[in-house]
Amino acid sequence: MSRWISHLTLNQKLGVLALALGAFAVFANVAPGPNVSVNAKELLTSVERREDHVTPPELAAWIVEGRADYRLVDIRDAKAFAEYHIPGAENVPLASVLDGALGRTDKIVLYGDGGVHAAQAWMVLKGRGFMRTYTLLEGLDAWKDEVLFPVMPQDASPEERARFERSLQLAKFFGGQPRAAAAAGAQPMALPTLAASPAVAVPTLPAGASAGPKKKREGC
Amino acid sequence: MASVTHDVVHEAAAESASGPQPYMNPYLAGMGLGLVLLAAFVLVGRGLGASGAFNSTIAWLVSLAAPGYARSNEFLGVYLEDGTHPLKAWLVFEVVGVFAGALLSGLLAGRVARTVEKGPRVSVGGRLAFAFVGGGLMAVGAALGRGCTSGQALSGGSLLNLGSWAFMLCVFGGAYVVAPLFRRQWR
Amino acid sequence: MSAPYYKLGAFGDEASLIVAFLIGIGFGFFLERAGFGSAKKLVSQFYLNDLAVFKVMFTAIVTAMLGVTYLAWAGFLDLSLVYLVPTYWIAQVVGGLLLGVGFVVGGYCPGTSIVSTATGKLDGLVFVVGFAAGTLGFALAFPLVKGLYTAGEIGTKTLPQVLGVPYGVLVFGVVLMAVGGFLGASWIEKKMAAKE
Repeated sequence: MSRWISHLTLNQKLGVLALALGAFAVFANVAPGPNVSVNAKELLTSVERREDHVTPPELAAWIVEGRADYRLVDIRDAKAFAEYHIPGAENVPLASVLDGALGRTDKIVLYGDGGVHAAQAWMVLKGRGFMRTYTLLEGLDAWKDEVLFPVMPQDASPEERARFERSLQLAKFFGGQPRAAAAAGAQPMALPTLAASPAVAVPTLPAGASAGPKKKREGC
Repeated sequence: MASVTHDVVHEAAAESASGPQPYMNPYLAGMGLGLVLLAAFVLVGRGLGASGAFNSTIAWLVSLAAPGYARSNEFLGVYLEDGTHPLKAWLVFEVVGVFAGALLSGLLAGRVARTVEKGPRVSVGGRLAFAFVGGGLMAVGAALGRGCTSGQALSGGSLLNLGSWAFMLCVFGGAYVVAPLFRRQWR
Repeated sequence: MSAPYYKLGAFGDEASLIVAFLIGIGFGFFLERAGFGSAKKLVSQFYLNDLAVFKVMFTAIVTAMLGVTYLAWAGFLDLSLVYLVPTYWIAQVVGGLLLGVGFVVGGYCPGTSIVSTATGKLDGLVFVVGFAAGTLGFALAFPLVKGLYTAGEIGTKTLPQVLGVPYGVLVFGVVLMAVGGFLGASWIEKKMAAKE
């Protein structure tokens, strides 16, 4: 075998090499596969710097402002989504988060009932190069506590009252109502029906565009 | 494998004689290019290019003369959108590198000289006029094609991109069809 | 899966610009090595007496393509993160034809015109200026050409997708075609040399 090879010119050897590699490549499977690779340092740093989440009041402000540069993703199952979801949210259940509904350059805010599932989805998406992904801090639990059902302050200072007024307006906008402090921990408040929630259109993007500022030009 | 390396070393040694060198074995040069391209894919997740750098530069120049117009121009505006300086673009830096790398190779091979490449039957002025017009035509072709031979043919071609292969075939086709008309310039 | 490194957060935008410069050096170096700073050599491809353009281009394509295939197969490279230019087939067909014409008239393509300018050729520099002028003209006339520019938009498509053939099989096909092409090219060159 080696004698035959040594009789070939350089170019012929290269040709044989190419053909061999090409033939073997027929069996190649180039799909990404089930694994993701995370940059641990970058991930943990962004968590520490609180760059991995948005808070419920922040999200509420975005919705009121009518911002359309992000996608709000509810990762719970369809039944829970139908019972109540934050206005403007899309339903992409946790297990199908990588199935193609979400764009890699989209700005995405994930939420679940608490914070854990959204954080898990966040990690997986980051590992697949979804760089602009965030979670809603403490999910729907916090949404209820801070936005829908703000606690009425007792013996509050004038500033606290003023701040509460704003929370009240926000709560009313989303179909919620204030509750007294004593009620916290008692009967959970009934969630507003979807009819009572403000109608917020899920931002629809023109075909091919991604939510958010144009990604860096990658063309030639 | 040892045999291939042996031959490559032989060819490289033959090249280090003096005077303007003969060109490198095209297959080896192609492999070198391919590895550079592969490095781009692996490191940055994108291919090579050239025409995009021209777009960025023109966008920048126009924005100096008429910033409002530049930003509103649909073609140029894209290069001025996200707030960073248009020349801080990947392709601009890459093209500067191309210049440097070419100069390096040329110096090593004794191939840097102030000349005009042309055939014997055309004048220098004629050749330069053709160069200018050819460049202009190419620019339109590259803009429509979303790239040129580096970006589309090489990069898109190796990724089996449909548009890139179509583009590449048309480049060869267009050139072969028109070549007889311009024979005078080259031979 | 560690690659593409930049897309998975390994380094930032500033570093990627330095990478761009370094990669550019490699690119320019090998283009010049192949003699592509010379318009006469480039254009010889289209007069069939020196088919180096075909050989270099397709060797580069095959090399990078095999590299990508094996690295993706090994789970090292996430192919879905590598940028693919979307297909606008009508615009790209017209663009390609124009590019081919420009190649024969001008003697260079944008990348090789930089190589040519770097090695001192005045026609390379004039080509660069002409290209810049053409780009400017296109931009100014954009409202008129917009229709053509977006014609044939079908999104991002790869040959395996469109032909319904597995990726690896197509890779082998391209290799076969390239090697066949190289053999054919040598034969053509010999024939043309004999005619001279």
